[in-house]
Amino acid sequence: MSLCDAEKTFILHGVKENFRVDGRDREGYRPIELETNIVQHAFGSARLRLANTDVLVAVKLEIDVPFPERPFEGKLEFFVDCSANATPDFEGRGGETLAAELANILTSAYRSPQTFNLKKLCILKGRKCWKICVDILILECGGNLFDAVSLAVKAALHNSQIPLIKSINIDGDNIELNVSDSVFDCEKLDVANAPVMVTVCKIGDQCIVDPSLAEEQCSVGSVVVAISQEYFSTVTSIGKGSLHPRTMCNSLELGQKVGIRLNKAFMETLHNIQPDEDVGFLK
Amino acid sequence: MPIDHKRINGPEESVPYELFARLSGITSEKTFEETQSANIRTDGRKFDEQRKIFLKNGVVSQAKGSAYMEMGQTKVMVSVFDPREIPNRSDYSLKGEIYCEFKFAPFSCPKRRLHQQDNEEKQYSSIMKKALESTVCLHELPNFQVDIYALVLHNDGSALSAAINAAGVALAEAGVPIYDIVASVTVGVQQGINFLDPTLSEEQMCQTQLTTEKFPNPNHAVVIISKLPMQQQLCQFHQTGYMSLDQLKSALELLTKTCETIVPLVQKCLLSLVTNSIKP
Amino acid sequence: MKVDHLICLPGERLSICNKTYTSGQGTYERQGYIYSTLAGIVDVVDKDGVKVIEVHSSGQQTIIPTQGDIVTAQVYIITQQYAKCFIKCIGNTVLRNPFKAVVRRENVRATEKDKVEIYKSFRPGDIILARVLPITEAHMYQLSTAENELGVVIAHSEHGYPMVPISWTEMQCPKSLVKEPRKVAKSTKKKYKFEK
Repeated sequence: MSLCDAEKTFILHGVKENFRVDGRDREGYRPIELETNIVQHAFGSARLRLANTDVLVAVKLEIDVPFPERPFEGKLEFFVDCSANATPDFEGRGGETLAAELANILTSAYRSPQTFNLKKLCILKGRKCWKICVDILILECGGNLFDAVSLAVKAALHNSQIPLIKSINIDGDNIELNVSDSVFDCEKLDVANAPVMVTVCKIGDQCIVDPSLAEEQCSVGSVVVAISQEYFSTVTSIGKGSLHPRTMCNSLELGQKVGIRLNKAFMETLHNIQPDEDVGFLK
Repeated sequence: MPIDHKRINGPEESVPYELFARLSGITSEKTFEETQSANIRTDGRKFDEQRKIFLKNGVVSQAKGSAYMEMGQTKVMVSVFDPREIPNRSDYSLKGEIYCEFKFAPFSCPKRRLHQQDNEEKQYSSIMKKALESTVCLHELPNFQVDIYALVLHNDGSALSAAINAAGVALAEAGVPIYDIVASVTVGVQQGINFLDPTLSEEQMCQTQLTTEKFPNPNHAVVIISKLPMQQQLCQFHQTGYMSLDQLKSALELLTKTCETIVPLVQKCLLSLVTNSIKP
Repeated sequence: MKVDHLICLPGERLSICNKTYTSGQGTYERQGYIYSTLAGIVDVVDKDGVKVIEVHSSGQQTIIPTQGDIVTAQVYIITQQYAKCFIKCIGNTVLRNPFKAVVRRENVRATEKDKVEIYKSFRPGDIILARVLPITEAHMYQLSTAENELGVVIAHSEHGYPMVPISWTEMQCPKSLVKEPRKVAKSTKKKYKFEK
């Protein structure tokens, strides 16, 4: 998408007046649509649509050996696939850099034990643990990918169920795990502290959240803020521009404010989700 | 990730033996407690004191510009090559591009690194790229790509900052037009204490949560910033961990202030570069 | 002889930007001031009453061909439609790695363009002077020799001797006296040195 100068000026003035092109104020989000438990073969899944951005996340579980440095912890890995369906730019290896950036930011946001406790995934110290593979598929790209992905990941993890392990038999180097026979014998993951990302975009002299594709083009610099409760789990600047330290502080404040609000609304929605029901929230 | 099978990689999985020694003895909690009670860091520095810096340009004769930087034990080499046309591109782009490759030498860390870039190195490459993208005047290099390679010879914390600082010098030596010199600093946070320019063990300590019963403060993080000092602009900012807004602000303030102390060193290095070239 | 050099570093503020001072090579303008982008020596060039501030890098300069530059290139392949060459120098600066460029048939000379034949204008190995045309495609610069001062400056005969220009379309080998057709550049320097 390429904009002419007049269009950019229009967006710029809108942001200044706190009345953006689609009628939102600076701190407003576009409508979000969420579906969970839609992939049969996954342990948990979610599809999230934020205006034109469409993300599908599926969680798979595997049994693995813990890292020798951290014998008490399980593993959590993120894989992002920018499908060429989203935009032709992703064709071939085009989406690889973006995919790597998304995966990096997620890994970094989930690194702290405060945000997601990996110790719960340990089965047998230093020998066996659960490995959570979170596969993220970008179906459509309509701006603000980071926020959409983080929310979808959170929903998919919330939706995931870990089978209960009934007993462990150790015979020398052989370890036998007995998984419960009942499909309903499962444990839910605790995602209350899982980070929510907010992209704060500087347009003109103001900062906005949830930029659309057109607004992203007008931005001079953006900061992605991952908020877990009221704490920052990751902050990283993206895009080519640079920011003044004062702008950075303002963006952090805005990101935190919006992040807390977003997280609250999202958690409420997650708890209210009934099986086999589509839920829209935030307007 | 696919692995290059033609290269002999050594054993696929190996574990440094120190791990077992450390697991039985020194933990992050213990290190922190000692540091806190002594009110001085293990290497004798104050909390807001940087390590000694050594900076030298022109270390690689084949490269157009290169620099070597030491921050305490951390040793990093960066080389910059002539701009070349962006490979595998069919359309013409008005702006140039930056290609960064950040690599830990196999022997640079306690654990052996493989020859292929792992995820951490890729992430560092992209952070470095981000910092340098807003530093280089890309509009002056249409359809060209500047290659920057950073190699860490010894990682003792703050390796990324050292690489970014050295890259600034290397770019200036290579005559690539840049808006400003770059200065980058890392800080580690644990329990509300800012460890400026952390060593590897401090970095590791700041990345984990200490046992909550003893240390109720959940703040722990590593923050890296890069700054264009004359323009007063942050060209890169990265934080990972868990920290409150106030803590983050205080870290940011400390970092922006510390960036200024690196500037004279870089200036001195570049000044001698120019004066040497003028002399007959 | 004492030389005063004004050294500057990247990001250093050099002067205010107004009607008398403008930013030139190696500098950029931001919020009414001129800043340096290189580590090097400041040079103030007077151009029609306007002082252009330039910075020259201490080492080899990083330059790339831009539209309108005069470049020195070596021809390596000729076809009926074009001659491919490597750009070796831009202005007076020798490049480290050459850039690929092409002189199309219609850009060889200014007159009688349709009658141009590449093999009568260039041969592989010739050194030519040319002007860079607007850049339209990636990976290839378009050059033009459609000026009197542009064209072949150094060429060797089939026997390997450097040839002497005798008209704007011909050069002659001093040993075998064979004449070969070329699009010869008019030398702006004094008459040929080897004519003793």
